[in-house]
Parts: sequence; C-alpha cells; structure tokens
Amino acid sequence: MAAPSGPRPGWSRRAQYGLFFSFIAAIIGLAIGLVLLAFSIAAPDNFKNMKGLALDATAPITQGLNAVGATVRGLASGAGDYWDAARQNGQLSRENQFMREQLITARAIRQENGQLKAALQLREQTPDSVAAGRLVGSSFQSPRRFAILSAGTRDGVQIGMPVRASRGLIGRVIDAGAFASRILLISDRASIVPARLLRTGQAVIAQGRGDGSIEVKPLEVGRNPFQPGDLIITSGTGGLYPPLVPIARVSRLDGDNAIGLPLANPAAISFAIAQQPYEPEAMAPLTGKDQELP
Amino acid sequence: MVRSALATKRKIGKGPIAGAAAVPTVSVAIGILLSALPIVAQIGWFPDFGFLMLIAWRLLRGDVWPSWWAAPLGLLNDLVTGCPVGFSVVVWTASMLALELLDRRTLWRDYWIEWVLASLLILFAESAEWQVAAWMGAPVPFSFMLPPVLISMAAFPLAAWVVGRLDHWRLGRQ
Repeated sequence: MAAPSGPRPGWSRRAQYGLFFSFIAAIIGLAIGLVLLAFSIAAPDNFKNMKGLALDATAPITQGLNAVGATVRGLASGAGDYWDAARQNGQLSRENQFMREQLITARAIRQENGQLKAALQLREQTPDSVAAGRLVGSSFQSPRRFAILSAGTRDGVQIGMPVRASRGLIGRVIDAGAFASRILLISDRASIVPARLLRTGQAVIAQGRGDGSIEVKPLEVGRNPFQPGDLIITSGTGGLYPPLVPIARVSRLDGDNAIGLPLANPAAISFAIAQQPYEPEAMAPLTGKDQELP
Repeated sequence: MVRSALATKRKIGKGPIAGAAAVPTVSVAIGILLSALPIVAQIGWFPDFGFLMLIAWRLLRGDVWPSWWAAPLGLLNDLVTGCPVGFSVVVWTASMLALELLDRRTLWRDYWIEWVLASLLILFAESAEWQVAAWMGAPVPFSFMLPPVLISMAAFPLAAWVVGRLDHWRLGRQ
C-alpha cells in the first residue's frame, strides 16, 4: 500500500503553505497544552468553572442513559423478586425480627452514650446532609478513580464536601457543576482518610490503591494489628470526614499494612449523600489542605 | 458505444454525502462523549475511545484534518473525561505531529505496521497518563497500567474497522 498522499502537497504553493501553517499551528497547540497541563498540575483548582460547565453539559447524557439502564435493571430484578417469593418472605421476616432486637439494644446504648457524653460535657455537631443523588458515571478509562454524582451546586453541593452512602464512605467532591459533581473515590491513590480500626480503636490511615481496593496503614510502628475481616471506620481526625462511618473491610495482610475492600461499592450502591464537613472550619482552608494531602 | 452506455456506472446520488469533511471530527467527538456513558466501574480498564478514533482516522488518511485540530478535540476530551486540563491537548497534538513526521519517512505501510504504530502511540498516551497521575499525587505501580494498555491495543483494529466503514459511507463508496 502506498503511503497516503496527504502530507505531500506536490508543486502547489498554496497547498505547501497550508501544510506549513497547520504544522506551526499544531506546535503552538502543543505549547498551549503544555502550559495548561502545568497549570492544572500545579493548582488543580484553576479550571473548576470550566470543569463544572462540562459536567453540566454531559449530565443529560449520563443521567438520561442511567435512568434507562435503571428501568431495565428494575424490570429484570423486579421479575426475579416474584420468583421464590415465599421463601424470601420468611427469611426477611426472621431478619426483621432479629434487627428489631438489635435496634432496641442500640437505642439503649445510644441513650447511655448520650448521658456519658453529657457528663463529660463533650460538644459534638452531627453533620447535616446537604443533598442526595445517584452515582451515575465514573472514570472508567483512567488510572484515577472518580465518580459522577447526580447532584450539583443547585442542590447545595460544594467542592470539598464528604460523600457517603448508607453502607459506608464514598469519597469527597472535587468538581461541582450546577446539576452534577465529580467525586474523588476513597479507592483513588490520592485519597487519604484518617481512620480507626474498629476492633481495637487503633489509629490508621486508609489510602486508595487505584484498583478498587484500599491500603490500610497503622500510624504506630509495631506488630501488624490487622486481621482479615476487620472493619475500618473514619476517626473524624482532620475535620473533613465525620467519625464512625464505615470505610472498608480488611481482606488480606500485606507486610505491615493491610488491603481492604470498600464497604460501599460505588458500582452497587443506589444513593449517595453529600454532607457538610464534620468541622465547618475544615472547608475554609481546604484548597491549601488539598495541595498538601494528595 | 452501446456497451459503455449499458455498463453500470456509478449509481446516481452516490457521491460523497453532504458534510463528508466533518464526519471524522464528529466521530471523534462521539468517541469522546462515550466516556459519559453511565458505567460505574471500580477499575479504569476501558480504552480511551476518543484517542482510538483519532489515531485510527489519522492512520487511514493523512488529510482528514490539519494536525492542530487535535488540540481543541483534546481539550474537549479533558473536560468530558475529567483528565487534568491540557493532558489530552498535549498527548493528542504530539501524536498528530509524530505521525506527520513519520509520513515523510515511510515509503509504504501495511496493516501490521499501522497496528504497531497505533500500539506505540497507545503506550505513549497511557504512560503519559500514568506519569501525570503520579505528579498529581496518585502514583500507582506501572504494572497497574499494563491491562488497560493491552486492552486498548487489542481494541485498535475494532476502531480501525469502524473508521473504515465510516470512510466508505461518507465518500459514498460501496
């Protein structure tokens, strides 16, 4: 096969000039791209308005198609639920009974906890939920782990807010459009969450690994404190993430650290909630904090 | 004379379609927008559809667009996929320039050489993505990038086939 004739313009002076100028324009484009890239690496907040607009522009595609997909899945699983309904009903009733008993115990513990805290005069804010949305998309083409939440600044979401689901922590908002926002998942390498080992209360750090799992490191040097099956919860240190939110379950040990799987799998959860930062002061210096953290 | 009058000539109305020159750009833009599909995945192993379409068009034809058009298309890709702004601008324009220079050196090409060239460009793009992620505070081991690189390389012939069909359709050839 002969090489394409495109870049050889022959004797036409006009075609030669056209090719030359497009070459120069491409080099200028490359230079502009390098400058833009340097800016976005040095200060990721630079293009937040542009990124917010792009989120809004693609939101109709993502959310519309997601609605179609949810309907199809709902029809399929809805039909599946009728199958074997009697056995499921019995199982659910038993679970319900068990949960009720657990709930009474938990209420009693909570009341006692409240009294003890009052005795200690411990002041504590419960973080307010700002907006609920669905996780409708993700960065399925890149080594970074981002997800798209179907709630934006119009619903009160702001950059920096923590996002959780009922099962556990999801991540935090890094770009916000009017109708959608981009979330840095806790499984991203740049996400570091101050955490605690639920069994012993030992302070640990949960950092994503970029492949959907989470690396948990103890803060104190010593014997590996983890056991497979251990639960990792947030500690509230740093003031961004509220305490006592489940993060991950340890699946295996790795040297001094442990590898865990997130409890709230972004692919499986239906709703996510954006919350106010645990300490509102954590919001103000967030840009500075972001630069040193990731 | 009779024979030439009876011979089937080109079918009437089978020339290039209206807006044939815009088809390549539009198809790359559609490839970029595929990343807005509602797929929530834990692992980012999908190929970069926009980049695959871009190099498939450029390897098929040298004159689909002036090479600087890769810069605005790359900016669109950055904004839609959430890459750091400027990343795709650099990688896509650099790929176009590399192919431009290569076109002056090579005398002939076949399908295997095109696949090798595309694989090298994919490797370059994914390594750059890995390096930029490391600079942005997310350093993952390079072995994490091998599955997406291999998947993208395997997906290139598919992109080349799609581009070939689109080219036939837009030029009205059958």
